[in-house]
Amino acid sequence: MSAQSITPAASNAKPKKIRARMERVNWPATIILAVCSLTVLIPLYVTVSMAFKTTKQAVDGNAFSLPNPVSVDGFKQAWTMTKTPVGAGISVLITAGVVFLVIFLAAFLSYSIVRNWDHRFFRYSFFYVLAAMFIPFPVVALPQISLTGRLHLDNPFGVIILASMFQLAFSVLLFTTFLRSIPNELEESAQIDGASTWQTFRKIVFPLLAPMSATVGIFAFLYAWNDFMMPSLIISDATLQSLPVRQNIFQSQFSNNYNVSFASYLMAMAPAIIAYIFTQRWVMSGVTQGAVKG
Amino acid sequence: MAALAAVAMIGAGLAGCSSGGRTKLVFAFNKREAVPFMQQVVDDYNKSQDKVNVVMDTSGLNSTAAGFVRGAPADLLLANFNNQAARYVNQCAVTDLSDTDAAKRVRPDVKALVDGVGKCPGRTSAVPYSIMAAGVIYNKDIFAKYNLQVPKTYDQLLSVSKTLKSNGVAPFFGTFYDGWTVSQGWFDYAAGGSLDLKSFFQSIEKDGANVGPNSSVSYEKDFLEPMNKMMTLAKDYTNPDANSKIYGDGNTAMANGKAAMYLQGPWAFSEISKTNPKANLGTFPLPMTDNPKDLKTAVNVDLGAMIPEQSKHQAEARDFMNYLFQPKIINAYNASQLGFGPLKDSAPETDPRVAGLRPYYEKGKIYAGPSYVIPQAIPIPQLAQSIVLGADPKDVLSTIDADWARFARRQ
Amino acid sequence: MAISSLPSVPDVPEKADRKHRKVEPVFWWMTVPTLVVFTLAIPIPAAIGIFYSFTNYIGVGKWHFLGLANYIAMFTDPQIRQSYIFTIGFSLVTVLAVNVISFLLAVGLTARIRAKVALRTVFVIPMVISGIVIAYVFQFLFSNSLPALGQALGVGWLKESMVTNPHLAWVAVVFVTAWQSIPGTLLIYIAGLMSVPEDVYEAADIDGASKFQQMTRITIPLVFSYVVINTILGFKGYLNAYDIIVGLTNGGPGTSTMSVAMNIVNGLTNGDYAYQMANATIFFIFTLIVSLLQLSLMRGRNK
Repeated sequence: MSAQSITPAASNAKPKKIRARMERVNWPATIILAVCSLTVLIPLYVTVSMAFKTTKQAVDGNAFSLPNPVSVDGFKQAWTMTKTPVGAGISVLITAGVVFLVIFLAAFLSYSIVRNWDHRFFRYSFFYVLAAMFIPFPVVALPQISLTGRLHLDNPFGVIILASMFQLAFSVLLFTTFLRSIPNELEESAQIDGASTWQTFRKIVFPLLAPMSATVGIFAFLYAWNDFMMPSLIISDATLQSLPVRQNIFQSQFSNNYNVSFASYLMAMAPAIIAYIFTQRWVMSGVTQGAVKG
Repeated sequence: MAALAAVAMIGAGLAGCSSGGRTKLVFAFNKREAVPFMQQVVDDYNKSQDKVNVVMDTSGLNSTAAGFVRGAPADLLLANFNNQAARYVNQCAVTDLSDTDAAKRVRPDVKALVDGVGKCPGRTSAVPYSIMAAGVIYNKDIFAKYNLQVPKTYDQLLSVSKTLKSNGVAPFFGTFYDGWTVSQGWFDYAAGGSLDLKSFFQSIEKDGANVGPNSSVSYEKDFLEPMNKMMTLAKDYTNPDANSKIYGDGNTAMANGKAAMYLQGPWAFSEISKTNPKANLGTFPLPMTDNPKDLKTAVNVDLGAMIPEQSKHQAEARDFMNYLFQPKIINAYNASQLGFGPLKDSAPETDPRVAGLRPYYEKGKIYAGPSYVIPQAIPIPQLAQSIVLGADPKDVLSTIDADWARFARRQ
Repeated sequence: MAISSLPSVPDVPEKADRKHRKVEPVFWWMTVPTLVVFTLAIPIPAAIGIFYSFTNYIGVGKWHFLGLANYIAMFTDPQIRQSYIFTIGFSLVTVLAVNVISFLLAVGLTARIRAKVALRTVFVIPMVISGIVIAYVFQFLFSNSLPALGQALGVGWLKESMVTNPHLAWVAVVFVTAWQSIPGTLLIYIAGLMSVPEDVYEAADIDGASKFQQMTRITIPLVFSYVVINTILGFKGYLNAYDIIVGLTNGGPGTSTMSVAMNIVNGLTNGDYAYQMANATIFFIFTLIVSLLQLSLMRGRNK
């Protein structure tokens, strides 16, 4: 799936005419928005600047001062204390696993449901899966802890499976809506040419689903990467915890070494922010498409 | 796709179990002040033999509790023996340790203290490792500077506080942002210093579901006066920013002599000395009455050893437990944490910082703080915190009564 | 716009059930394993939880049946009541704040402004930050930097930390939740605004309608369906508030920002497992009613 294959949903709308009279740049709006963007930028600035301070400078609690001298001690300490690389590895594993599972399982399920809508089993399956959208994770969290424990899934793999299942309903909804809007002709001609259903799915339907797969994948990514509640409850071994949960575990041990805590926060935030900045156009259109088509 | 497979493999490697044929023994230890000490002990043990690899889990009470629920708790718990641990003991979810060498060495009075918190009939479910006596931590230099004596009555305490305040010194350092510091310090000392808690809890446990405005004992009736006295101190004689300060702030402040008194247990000393090892500190029990004979110190079984029924490594866990209870190690631990040893052969605690509480502990003038006794389903830390933040004590106490009765009804 | 399909009304005409038609085996392979895992992941734990809500189970060891005692106790428990009041109130305020702010930002970001791409990129960043991590950052700002600012400016109510004031802590929770969830809502509004054809505005310009009139008479009615999606997606999420509160206030001060989800999870540690399962059951029914109400509201709108 390539970024080019996805066009922002908005531009699918009716083509716009350029307004007759050229308007000038709206400076008041630009300025107001720039000021508002400080709400986003200030916390990020504080995180970066606190992270590069020495413990001695950080402890005064002045969030806005620049680091003087610049120190990477906070990073060194946080890196060894929270074992950042392990946490990052686990978070990447969980996120990749959830994205992968959700895209494939939801695509399989949606395709089967849409193509067999006249069969009772598949029709009911659709409503069965969708009904889960009404069960929030907190409701099943406690029984789920004992269940995953007994099945030896009290580890990142258990989180991958569970998170995928909680993301399934929304993803199936997106895929089925999208599938219903794809005409059948291509598939039918492929089948006339002798392709099996599986080949048709793999060679024709799944590629056609690509834009929606991207959307489903982005939502799964955001959920799995950011989630705190599920890994914190399901993963029993603290050394196998994800990045967000590590911040919680070590919060009390950071004590008043603000440079260490902020260095740790920064290392937990940075990967996703950097990834986002490089793919922002694609992420924005993906999210928009999901919400609009869903 | 290849990248994904690679990531999955790394993950599988990480998730993969024990190291090279040694049995992995999970040891839950939640006392964060003592983690470095205990890590050293664990490392030494791991070096001393080649059958068992002890892995210390310091991720906190939540994961200990979750371990029980998922049927795979840690193999050995060395945890605060409070109302939470008591629930696992009362449900007989931990094994009988009466035949261990350590259990036979426990002092009888300490055993009574343990049994008072929780008991499974016919079993020695927990072996105490460290007893903490808690009271007021005070800065001896500040007291000397203003020529102050350690107060023995509530009035003396007030006059000490007034003197300090008029000299621009914060009498008490409050860390009200952390609810537990309010419940274990302010709330517990105020109640324990005023009441005979042992008989109070006997009566209120008997009343159970009937506790309320009309019962013979209730929190609303018995705790109100102590709470009002507590509020006099908390409102007028603490640092002005007490509401937004946390435990760590309090330790830093005491290390730097920013306040004269601090309602914390001895566990705070190790944190304080990280900032200033020379801080000249002492302890005394918080006086809440006009009679010096009423002075008592709060104690709790800060650490007790338990081995869950569900552990699959019973023998290994016992072996490591015996290692921990060697006089050399348990004495060193208690000396480092300023705890009192619970064993007959324990070395006496000689640190001058807790000398102010030792006589009370030795004479048995002790009480278990209500926040360690009241079931955790009643959120005492939050409720106590709401009192110091300005809620009407009477309302909060009647809430505790109602919670108490409601809890009794669903047992 | 496929909004009408959200309540899952199939476009395919329903034929008579062809139960005995041969379904290709591959379709079974594509569905059944997933459905089995799904059943283990959600419906079965839900059933187990409902079962234990009628007992005194603490998560381990012995238990016995209590009948409805947990449910009866729940309805008189001030802590539970407060958590519902907080959760519902917080969700309503957040939904309102997030939608108003997102809409205004979207209007700004679709206007002819400079640095459009950069500004959009910045406003969407919070979406990729984990709630608990940013909550820790804000917890520091609220308890250190804001009081310092209040001190400097002499603003009385700012001097005290917002997160330790029982009357203001919820505002901090709303602020951080909004901070994190505005991007998603914003993107949807941007899409909505861009789908309004320009010629509608041109015609309005010619008729002499003011900018404000164009906004209230044209823009808002045309993007109303987007408001509906945003409200529904948002409200459901906010009802489950957990991560941000854990990082920001941990339910405090007192129990003033304790959400329903937090209470349920605490049942694990405080030994009140069965009681909190009763709470979870009621919470499930509550979520279901809210969702169904929203769905019927939305269908009504689309007709």
